[in-house]
Amino acid sequence: MGDRLTQLQDAVDQLAQQFVSSIHYINRHHSLQLLGPNDQIRDVKPEPGQEDVDPHAPETFKASQIELAQDLITKEQQIELLISILPGLDNSEQDQERNIKELEEELKAAEAQRQKAIKEKAEIMTKLDTVIRSIRRP
Amino acid sequence: MADPDPSQTANASTYPPPPPFWQDFTPDNLARLKDLKQEQADSEGIQDASAIRLESLPRNLRNLQPPLEPADGTWRVFGETYTLANPLPPLDSEHFQRLFPPEEERDQDGKHFDRATILKRLAKSLLLNFLELVGIMSINPGAASPKITDIRDLFINFHHLINEYRPHQARESLISLMQSQLDRTRAETNAIRDVKEKVERILEGLGSLKMDYEALDGLGEKADPWAAEAETWEALMEECP
Repeated sequence: MGDRLTQLQDAVDQLAQQFVSSIHYINRHHSLQLLGPNDQIRDVKPEPGQEDVDPHAPETFKASQIELAQDLITKEQQIELLISILPGLDNSEQDQERNIKELEEELKAAEAQRQKAIKEKAEIMTKLDTVIRSIRRP
Repeated sequence: MADPDPSQTANASTYPPPPPFWQDFTPDNLARLKDLKQEQADSEGIQDASAIRLESLPRNLRNLQPPLEPADGTWRVFGETYTLANPLPPLDSEHFQRLFPPEEERDQDGKHFDRATILKRLAKSLLLNFLELVGIMSINPGAASPKITDIRDLFINFHHLINEYRPHQARESLISLMQSQLDRTRAETNAIRDVKEKVERILEGLGSLKMDYEALDGLGEKADPWAAEAETWEALMEECP
């Protein structure tokens, strides 16, 4: 799982992949049609490297087509969603720089406070230590 | 940058050991470097000692100072040349059709909504072009190649726009990283403070207890532990005839 941009790029690549596989499916599983009364389906020898057409039943073919089309639409909508949630669309570069500078200052201040708190904690611990050591039975 | 005495065998192994100068980074050496820098800063009257570069350093401290940026902007690592500036190659308009306005013309307010709009438009165009491609293929497969070129251009444009956005996203990630670190530091500080206050309260409680003990101790030292009560009783007796 990468950042948003990588996700978007992956989604676009998947869309391309889907284009190819959709065409491949149609090319591979379409039915053979007679275009005229005198036509007949010839028994073509499959060329080497070319896959034979393997007609699916009309219902299956139709259903698969619909599924492929729906997948394409879904993927496209995913892409649009990813585009609209790209980080920092409403920040300009100057905004970002200012933001970073501010955060840097705040981080420094917070770190200083943390160090101070740690020091105070150490002091209170020594105090507690002496108290515990000095406890004796009345 | 290149270490003067790298043994060839070390460089030839699959997982070479770290460069030998890591051994120079001892706490003593670091402290000495800091002192030297401070001296230099004091003598030159510069406030920020960390920005100082020392020219002549003893040999064992030389590696503690990071080298300057390469003057010509290029360097070699693992036999490959790298450059400091690593710009995105512009979209080659001779081979691909450019489908979006140049950078100067969009997002003039510094925001990136135009980019998002263009990306969405490209995504929709992709679908439409694919529909057209399927249509053309079903009628005349031989005429499909211009359409395929269109789709390829769309994809290339899409990727180019995304890659243009990468620096922006990198800054954005940095911001969120800093924000989360800030939150973490603050939470830690608060937790420490809470514990501190708790301990203080306990100490206060102990303190009052201790005073009681001291009072008791004080009483114990007197010869008669009941002297105080006896006095009270005496006073009472005097008041009541």
